[in-house]
Amino acid sequence: MSVIALPEHLSTVAGAPMSYWRTVAWRLSRDRVTLVAGALLLLIALSALLAPWIAPHDPSAGAIRLRLAPVGTPSHLLGTDEQGRDMLSRLLWGGRMTLVAGLTPVVVAFLVGTVLGVIAGYAGGLVNTLVMRTMDIFYAFPAVLLAIAISGALGPGLPNTLISLSIVFIPRVVRVAESATVQVKGLEYVAAAKASGASVWQILRHHLLANILGPVLVFASTQVSLSIILAAGLSFLGLGVTPPAAEWGLMLNTLRQSIYVNAVVPALPGLAIFVTSMAFNLVSDGLRDAMEIRT
Amino acid sequence: MWRYVGRRLLLAIPTLLGASIIVFAMVHLAPGDPIAAILPVDASKEQIEDTKRAYGFDKPLPVQYLKWLGRVVQGDLGKSIATRRAVILDVRDSLANSLMLAVSSSLLAFGAGIALGLLAAFTQGRALDKMASAIAVIGVSVPHYWAGIILIIIFSVQLNWLPAMGASSDGGLVGYLRHMALPTIALALIPLGVIARVTRSAALDILNQEFVLALRAKGLAHRRVFAHVVKNAAPQIITVLGLQFGFQLGGSVLVEAVFSWPGTGYLLNLAIFQRDMPVLQGVILVLATFFVLLNLLVDVLQTYIDPRIARH
Amino acid sequence: MTRFIGFLVVAAVSLALAGSASAEGTLRIGMTAADIPYTGGQTDNGFEGFRFVGYQIYEPLINWDLSRSDKLPSLVPGLAESWEVSKSDPRKWIFKLRKNVKFHDGSAFNADAVLFTFDSIKNKQAAQFDQYGSAQISWRLSALKAMKKLDDYTIELETPTVTSFVPYQIVYMVIVSPAQWNKVKDWRKFAEQPSGTGPFKVARFVPRERLELEANKGYWDPKRTPKVDKVVLLPMPEPTTRLAALRSGQVDWIEVPPPDSIAQLKGSGFQIVTNKYPHNWGHILRLDKEPWNNKAVRKAANYAIDRVGICKNLLNDTCVPGTGVAYKGHPWFGNPKETYDYDPAKAKEILKAAGFDGISKRPARAVALISTSGSGQMLPLAMNELIQKNLKDVGIDVDLQPIEWNSLTQRFRIGFTGENAGVNALNISFNFLEPFSGFGRFFHSKSVPPTSVNIMPFVNPESDRLLDEAEKTFDLAKQDAILAKVHELVVDEAPWIFVVHDLNPRAMTSKVKGFVPPQSWFVDLTQVSVAR
Repeated sequence: MSVIALPEHLSTVAGAPMSYWRTVAWRLSRDRVTLVAGALLLLIALSALLAPWIAPHDPSAGAIRLRLAPVGTPSHLLGTDEQGRDMLSRLLWGGRMTLVAGLTPVVVAFLVGTVLGVIAGYAGGLVNTLVMRTMDIFYAFPAVLLAIAISGALGPGLPNTLISLSIVFIPRVVRVAESATVQVKGLEYVAAAKASGASVWQILRHHLLANILGPVLVFASTQVSLSIILAAGLSFLGLGVTPPAAEWGLMLNTLRQSIYVNAVVPALPGLAIFVTSMAFNLVSDGLRDAMEIRT
Repeated sequence: MWRYVGRRLLLAIPTLLGASIIVFAMVHLAPGDPIAAILPVDASKEQIEDTKRAYGFDKPLPVQYLKWLGRVVQGDLGKSIATRRAVILDVRDSLANSLMLAVSSSLLAFGAGIALGLLAAFTQGRALDKMASAIAVIGVSVPHYWAGIILIIIFSVQLNWLPAMGASSDGGLVGYLRHMALPTIALALIPLGVIARVTRSAALDILNQEFVLALRAKGLAHRRVFAHVVKNAAPQIITVLGLQFGFQLGGSVLVEAVFSWPGTGYLLNLAIFQRDMPVLQGVILVLATFFVLLNLLVDVLQTYIDPRIARH
Repeated sequence: MTRFIGFLVVAAVSLALAGSASAEGTLRIGMTAADIPYTGGQTDNGFEGFRFVGYQIYEPLINWDLSRSDKLPSLVPGLAESWEVSKSDPRKWIFKLRKNVKFHDGSAFNADAVLFTFDSIKNKQAAQFDQYGSAQISWRLSALKAMKKLDDYTIELETPTVTSFVPYQIVYMVIVSPAQWNKVKDWRKFAEQPSGTGPFKVARFVPRERLELEANKGYWDPKRTPKVDKVVLLPMPEPTTRLAALRSGQVDWIEVPPPDSIAQLKGSGFQIVTNKYPHNWGHILRLDKEPWNNKAVRKAANYAIDRVGICKNLLNDTCVPGTGVAYKGHPWFGNPKETYDYDPAKAKEILKAAGFDGISKRPARAVALISTSGSGQMLPLAMNELIQKNLKDVGIDVDLQPIEWNSLTQRFRIGFTGENAGVNALNISFNFLEPFSGFGRFFHSKSVPPTSVNIMPFVNPESDRLLDEAEKTFDLAKQDAILAKVHELVVDEAPWIFVVHDLNPRAMTSKVKGFVPPQSWFVDLTQVSVAR
């Protein structure tokens, strides 16, 4: 996505957080694609949040005789699944599961990772080596593999999925946070601030965080899509959420058999994952462009 | 530069050790008795005692770890509960299949990804860029296991062009390649997207540098600019290539599950449902080792291309 | 004259060509097993192992007659030409073995081979003891106490009590080649180069991937020398994978096609083959703990299941509702009092009367171990999800724990202890081919592990008495009547959640000819051919 050129008087000045964020907002408001994606995300999040109230049916109630009804069946707008449960309701409720499973690990990683990364970056020396080399060890595993290894050992279930995915994403966030911290630490105005007697806390608050949170936030937002795909993937393999819970990955798995009866209904959960994932990617792209982050 | 290589090699060792600790810990993470996790349910008392002694289950954890590590280094990854074969044999066979898939998928992803990325960068802002970037975003966002299922429906069941599963060994090389076609595409989607985006971003960085803009304004031959961009974007791109190859090797579980491709991912999946801990540990350890060495290789390659890169 | 000779030549050539065409052909089969069944003799993966490996590479002393679809298979001579109870001691049986039979490795079959095999299963001190194989089969052979060689072709078998069940157990013990085993002295190695007397021998074995069998041209029964040249067995635990493989021409025959695809398959010219057979699919319950120690809860569970919904809607009529061990029409069905129709209201009532007020107040919780696929397991995940819902609707909460099929069979044998301690229900399909498999192994108190698989445990003195009597009855009609009484008792006690009886659906291409689906778990592959 192309970076929106900024009028001169609004150019960013590092170290002056307020107008920086305002320029970010200004840029975002001009980026149509990101706005649409953002609106879509909002819609998805809202419908997931409001699922208990807007879902037309109980997601676990189904009449086996009505199984695999096609899209457009009266009272089952998006058809029914292989057990006769309403697809629309299950997609709405499934959204909650998938979003929780997708977002929580990234949020956890963002919080824990930023703290760890900033500490490592600011402290340097032994602390840095200890933290970073430990992160390297987790980095030795490709994401999917690590998620499966931990889930495989702990067993299925949502809590275990959240734990394993958090462990997958924390090292990545730590790396970005540490790298950003080190960069900023070396900047002249920080040395100046130190020289002028500002405390560690003050320096951190004013100078580092603003210029670190940006890249870390953008990076974290790029990981959401992967987290969603992984969480749904774990359920697809039988390692995540267990039946009869509604979750997009699990639905994709159980509906797999039915592609020969009705090809559209089984594709819906996959489509949902895809659209959500894409919306997150577009928004994070827009954020990155607006914040002029190069990662 | 060789000092750098030496240092990186040295650094890889504690990483590998750390990874081995995680793998070792898996048995103790799992709910239930660790012995039960590595022996068949109907193991005789003698078998249980033998295994306890061999693994040192009555000794403190660090001692257990060292004993286990000692055996692993010699290639003894234990015995599969399901097939009662040495794990190393099961892993070796499946690794060959996964490597084949990863290599072919990488070729596709790298080739198409880099091409797309460069195309987008050089036509920045125009329709072609938008299209290429859209393809890239789609690639990154699509759940590849879902894509795999769709591919099967279209190409295997409806059109009957390509086989749906397995890695047939009757049909020779052509048969094997035909079986590999669909899983290759499914596995390549996400890396293709990632590589295209990184390539585009890296190329743009260079293209937008002042002196390059100047060169282009002066009408310098496109080929020279192109070569310049490629050479300078290479380190970043190579890092991503390395990471993505690792993803395809280690992360092929989902695609292999959909296509029943007999690789490490398929083995992993089976081992989980068979509660076959030795195989699980063996596969993960081998893949992690591969990944670490791969990263090492990528780092060295990067430094070779651009010695300024030597990181802290 | 020349025209006549020419005609003869043409006739001879075309006969030769036709003969070779029908003898040619490779039959490629997609199994539901996740891995190749154990080829070392006493196979695993349940009866699918026997079906495609155990009974193809090896043979027992007594065989099943699998040539007819219209009646239950009877027992016929296999590697034994005849057998009878000894006149002097009713606890001894004399088997006269077949002569001039060779193992695949060329060595001769005789009494030594039978004893060798027996020891490999029953004698822990024997050098050839097969720990794994023994674990698979030993529990089926509780009536076989000891074997003695009377001469090269006569065996004497000793049983612990007088029992008519002997042939029904002998039929599961397949004979391995001592000569071949002595070459390798290791069952792992033997499994890679097995040697039996069966109509097929192993040509190629790629663990986890494929097993290639080729016709044993020197098979002792010329009527059952295989028509097909090669059989390739491929593990395909995923139903959609099997379907895709069949449709794209990768295999010629698949077990258990996804029921939803059957109409389409028929429309595209594939053959769908079904038959009823002594199959039972249900949940075996833990009877010594809550909630299943309460008979009312067990009955309620049985009334809560929508069997018609499962068979008609979920499984596209590839099964029939099951309300007992045997199905109606089977000689052992009898006249049970409970009919277990789908009646959730009645189930709720029964539960309330028993003190279980629903999930929030005093829930009845079940933790069920299920498989992801496997021999006779049908479509376990979908079926169990429906059962889970049915039970939840009446107030029984069910937690499903899926594991792989072969792992389930191993865990099944140890009972509700050890790794299974947190589990109180197990979904496993059973056969009732003969009295021991149908009743003896479950409903007699002496069959608790490790003797056999009465893991519940079901302890009922009347059942014991009836089963002992049946075992002593050598008259088949009288035996059937006694077993029918056992059946009525079992249905009333409801130690299981009875669900359905499978109809053994298979799908094959139109090129597969000559297959006769028996009323059995096993198949005879020797009469099958694959047209060009």
